[in-house]
Amino acid sequence: MEIWRLPISASQRGKLISAGYTSLSSLSSISSSDLARELKVSESEAMNILKVASHSRGSETSNASCSIVEGAQSAWDMLHDEESLMHITTSSADLDNILGGGIHCKEVTEIGGVPGIGKTQLGIQVAVNVQIPNDFGGLGGKAIYIDTEGSFMVERAFQIAEACIEDMSEYNRFLRKDFQECKIKMLPQDILENIFYFRICSYTEQIALINYLDKFLSEHKDVKVIVVDSVTFHFRQDFDDMALRTRVLSGMALKLMNLAKRFSLAVVLLNQVTTKHTEASFQLALALGDSWSHTCTNRIVLYWNGNERYAYIDKSPSLRSASAAYSVTARGIRNSSSSCKRIKMM
Amino acid sequence: MARLANLETEYPVLDSTVRNFCASHGIFSVEDFLIHDLYMLAAFAEQNNSSERLKEGIAQVLSIIDDMHQPWLNGMELLEDAKRNKHVFPTGIQGIDLLLGGGIRVGQLTELVGPSSSGKTQVCLRTASNVARNHLVLYLDTGNSFSPQRIAYFLGKTINPSSAQAKNQFLQKVMSNISCHSVFDIFAMFDVLHQLESYLRCQDGRGDCQMRLLIVDSISSLISPVLGSSSTQGRALMTSAGYLLKKLAHQHNLAVLIINHTVGGEGGYSKPALGDSWKCIPHSRLFLSCDRGSNNYNVSILRHPSMASGKAARFVI
Repeated sequence: MEIWRLPISASQRGKLISAGYTSLSSLSSISSSDLARELKVSESEAMNILKVASHSRGSETSNASCSIVEGAQSAWDMLHDEESLMHITTSSADLDNILGGGIHCKEVTEIGGVPGIGKTQLGIQVAVNVQIPNDFGGLGGKAIYIDTEGSFMVERAFQIAEACIEDMSEYNRFLRKDFQECKIKMLPQDILENIFYFRICSYTEQIALINYLDKFLSEHKDVKVIVVDSVTFHFRQDFDDMALRTRVLSGMALKLMNLAKRFSLAVVLLNQVTTKHTEASFQLALALGDSWSHTCTNRIVLYWNGNERYAYIDKSPSLRSASAAYSVTARGIRNSSSSCKRIKMM
Repeated sequence: MARLANLETEYPVLDSTVRNFCASHGIFSVEDFLIHDLYMLAAFAEQNNSSERLKEGIAQVLSIIDDMHQPWLNGMELLEDAKRNKHVFPTGIQGIDLLLGGGIRVGQLTELVGPSSSGKTQVCLRTASNVARNHLVLYLDTGNSFSPQRIAYFLGKTINPSSAQAKNQFLQKVMSNISCHSVFDIFAMFDVLHQLESYLRCQDGRGDCQMRLLIVDSISSLISPVLGSSSTQGRALMTSAGYLLKKLAHQHNLAVLIINHTVGGEGGYSKPALGDSWKCIPHSRLFLSCDRGSNNYNVSILRHPSMASGKAARFVI
């Protein structure tokens, strides 16, 4: 029953089937006015249905022999593309090490942890660090910060931006031995200007915004990171229908994956924790359930170990499981200052 | 199936007399024809004035229907087909290959189920790198988790590099056999499978490097957004996706590997997602899990056509 495969509305599909059209070939020889008459829909709707049907059929006949399917890339080409992809540094060398250079572009990274561990701080740091110019090894891009909890503090972002610029001048002084005045022309205000901030107050707004991002990103092609802080907040309360929640979350995750791939940007989702009761013990796990935990590409869990903050790679297609310590300072996320800060391999 | 009116252009026998006769019995499309009692219809046709034309029309519709079904095969033909075409591909992971008696089988749909981060994508990448040495592989990726780095790593482990250039050439040859395509909704997946079908139909005539492995990572991400709402469309999409994959596997001699995730069941145990309707669709189902914090993975058989379910093994990646 090939009509099931067409992306048309349920009522149109119902009308097609009750009128006897159940396969794509049956739609091939009919004109749109006849179809409109039989289905009792408007002519433009009938034309739309025929267009969708012929598109599905057209992809069958126009098959180039060079690639198996249109749009597929061979693994060899992807290997070379991957080598040229940049990463977004987190300003903590240990954390960057276990992440293989930083947050990866074209992937969705989920970062979760207990309250107070520094998720928002990490989000702001990433939104600032993505703007580091190419000369200094950064992406030179802009950032989108989607705030659902209201935890974004502009003064803190200003502080982190200032510290980032100071670090860049330090770097400049050490590495550029020429005595010219290569002063950094960036100001903290410029960094703040390049962060697009959206404040979300309900889950419908969240979904609407993710849908709108497609158009926004086509107009602002230099956005290189989307930070959602936090993706959980509006889905935890007010949701009676768990099945609806699963559907909405899976759909949202796929859209974010699509954006990450098409526009070559990194998506960072901050998540909260919940307790899971397994085998008579309570364990902390990331919120939103098992279906959601399947949808991200990478997952980093932030936790306390004694007095130290640690980050642990929970899920990754290419990175080894490891944990590293980091700290939250007045200048942002930095390496932990304790004496034994060796990276623990699992 | 089209309405009888639309078939007239191809089969002029089905002209208006035949159609009016059928309409008088409530038959407007070929499906209505199938549900109707044909003996009664033939008897009424006898009594009609233009009974010859009507009987010709009925015979024509019946021959159209006959063309629609798959040809009959007997046991010997099936056995011949199994011996000649339906090989077994080793995954390259010793524990799994031993458990499955060789590896994954061509012509069957194998599902890997497991909680998050239990090694499913890694098993797929390993299998892809193994099969790509001699055949073409198509990897459909929904979560941007295809890692060419990992493929290169797995391939690097299996050869002794005589020189960097030889290694490079080997990598290029094998990795060019793997095509990766990102799909982000279920309709896009149907489009891709449709294109794949026409590609495979042309391929069956050629003798060179053929496509033998299709991986969908993961099919549950594509089905979750549509499954479970008040309409039944989601479940219909899910079952038709399953049948399409099985048809491609059997008719074009592909091994199909798909990934599913788990959800919480009663008693706190994880069970595979997508529900009971999906349970019977894959031929084999393997449950993967990982010991926390180590490289040891467990795999157990939930369902397999020729191995006992419940058998388990450990493996390392």
